[in-house]
Amino acid sequence: MSRFDLWFAQSARALARRTSRRSFLSRLATLILGGSALPLLPVARAAAQPRAPAPGEPDPATPAGDPESCEYWRHCAIDGFLASCCGGTHTSCPPGTEMSLVTWLGTCRNPADGKDYVISYNDCCGKDLCGRCFCQRNEGDKPVYYPSKSNDINWCMGREGVIYNSTVAIVVGVATES
Amino acid sequence: MPRATPAAGRVREAGRRAIAEGAVGMRRVLLRAAAGLGLAVAVAGADVPLETLGSTERLREPPHPHWVFVGDLLLRRSALLDLDRSTFLGMVSSGFLSQGIAVPRRRAEFYVPETYYSRGSRGERTDVVTIYDAAALEPVDEVAIPPRRAINVLPSANAALSDDDRFLAVFNMTPATSLSVVDVEARSFAGEIATPGCSLVYAGGERRFLMLCADGSLLTVTLDEAGQEAGKLRSEPFFDPNEDPVTEKAVRYGDRWLFVSFEGQVHAVDVSGDAPRVEAPWSLLDEADREDAWRIGGIQHLAVHAASGRLYSLMHRGGADTHKQSGSELWVYDLGTRERTQRIALHHPGFSFMGDTIEFGKSWPWPFNRLSDWLLDSVAPNPGLDVVAVTQDAEPLLVTGSKQSGSLAVYDARSGRFLRRISSGNFMVHAVQAPWSAP
Repeated sequence: MSRFDLWFAQSARALARRTSRRSFLSRLATLILGGSALPLLPVARAAAQPRAPAPGEPDPATPAGDPESCEYWRHCAIDGFLASCCGGTHTSCPPGTEMSLVTWLGTCRNPADGKDYVISYNDCCGKDLCGRCFCQRNEGDKPVYYPSKSNDINWCMGREGVIYNSTVAIVVGVATES
Repeated sequence: MPRATPAAGRVREAGRRAIAEGAVGMRRVLLRAAAGLGLAVAVAGADVPLETLGSTERLREPPHPHWVFVGDLLLRRSALLDLDRSTFLGMVSSGFLSQGIAVPRRRAEFYVPETYYSRGSRGERTDVVTIYDAAALEPVDEVAIPPRRAINVLPSANAALSDDDRFLAVFNMTPATSLSVVDVEARSFAGEIATPGCSLVYAGGERRFLMLCADGSLLTVTLDEAGQEAGKLRSEPFFDPNEDPVTEKAVRYGDRWLFVSFEGQVHAVDVSGDAPRVEAPWSLLDEADREDAWRIGGIQHLAVHAASGRLYSLMHRGGADTHKQSGSELWVYDLGTRERTQRIALHHPGFSFMGDTIEFGKSWPWPFNRLSDWLLDSVAPNPGLDVVAVTQDAEPLLVTGSKQSGSLAVYDARSGRFLRRISSGNFMVHAVQAPWSAP
């Protein structure tokens, strides 16, 4: 009887390890834990499809010109998952998500022309956390009571849903000296 | 107001019965299957007495000061741990990006502001304040609030309980800002108060809450006995939000709130009088510290032990805009003298995977049983510490956690001596609360 119990317990544990919620969570954890390391891996770099350089942008072969890189120049004030790693691009949201209308702004210097640009970090909403390319740079980030400069706020609040997926970085103007 | 009814209790009871009956039926099926396989099923005369199905634990009462809630944004929950025995007592599930559990001093309950969608990640949004029985860890009631609860990644300051435990104020942001007030004694929604330009919420008396405004001033919101707005008062700005903003992660020390700025300035706000009084700021850093680029930083970077007047601050070395960077040291200050009394070099919080702490060889003979600790502290890269908390009793413990691990490190809060690591089952540690002080 005890051997039967043991066998049953072991198979149940093995099954629990292999399947369902546990394996889903395992994959999720791998995504979340691995996501932050991914942009650093040379394999990921090499496997990425070559992109046509955007006008006025740095060479896409460099981190400053690669929208899937946390070091990409527009990401200077970001804190979130990069939409460009999640099925979207740095200016458009992943399929099935919706872009937030309200958002926070950062000011980032484009190394290609040396100018400062105002960047709008709009969140992509309606699906759970993407988990890839987590990037936290915080340049000029302010606390939550200063909403227009705060990246700790879930900006999906402006839409019907508030579930946060990822973030884009859109140029909305040239910064002028104040 | 929509409220849980006695019917909900009956439904739960019926559910338990159904589960128990189902389990009995299942046992019958297994027994028959075993008999069919030719196995002897001897119930009478078994060495282990037969046990009942369907039992659930309750927590010991009253709760102990060394019990802590450990929040995880990814798993949408808080684990409740016993720091003395390194045990997992239970957990609270709290919906999408819920932050902070409001624990009253006078009732064996606690309150959790939560957000849900009818289809999980989409559908109709419902915001509630859920009322828990603190010993059963079970929701006993809920109060619906407007679906405008502020959703951010702060560990605190999104809701506050009045000092007499009567009203819970929940911060809303759409991005228009307001407070939803819940009478937690009557378990009803009292109303919403517009607070344009001002955010977050901190308790400041029996009928008073403080908020921080974008220009560096304070908004004082006063309630009447029904929880309606009785008055609002805006202070002069007491810091410059562009030059040196205070973080949202203020800590309460008696009648004072201590707000600490990115550059380490402590702005104390005394709420004992008719109007909040801002004291002259003082600095956590001296010239030598600044030259060495020491800064405050972390998700929950401050803790106060009220009885001894000690302030604990997570510190790291870094440049501008590193106010969310993890700490490598914990600096201890005497709030009476405003002097730094100790620097604690922080140990590795421990790695975890899927909630389980990664360690090995604890049962090996000495000194090999210490191999995994030695590897963690000497060889493994330290992810840094994002969260610090201290228990409020005469033998206080310090807890530190990291957003990259579910494991926590525990220290003696008086000597700073490292004691042990414990597992929370979390994927990450986003907040630690030690809500129960010694009786």
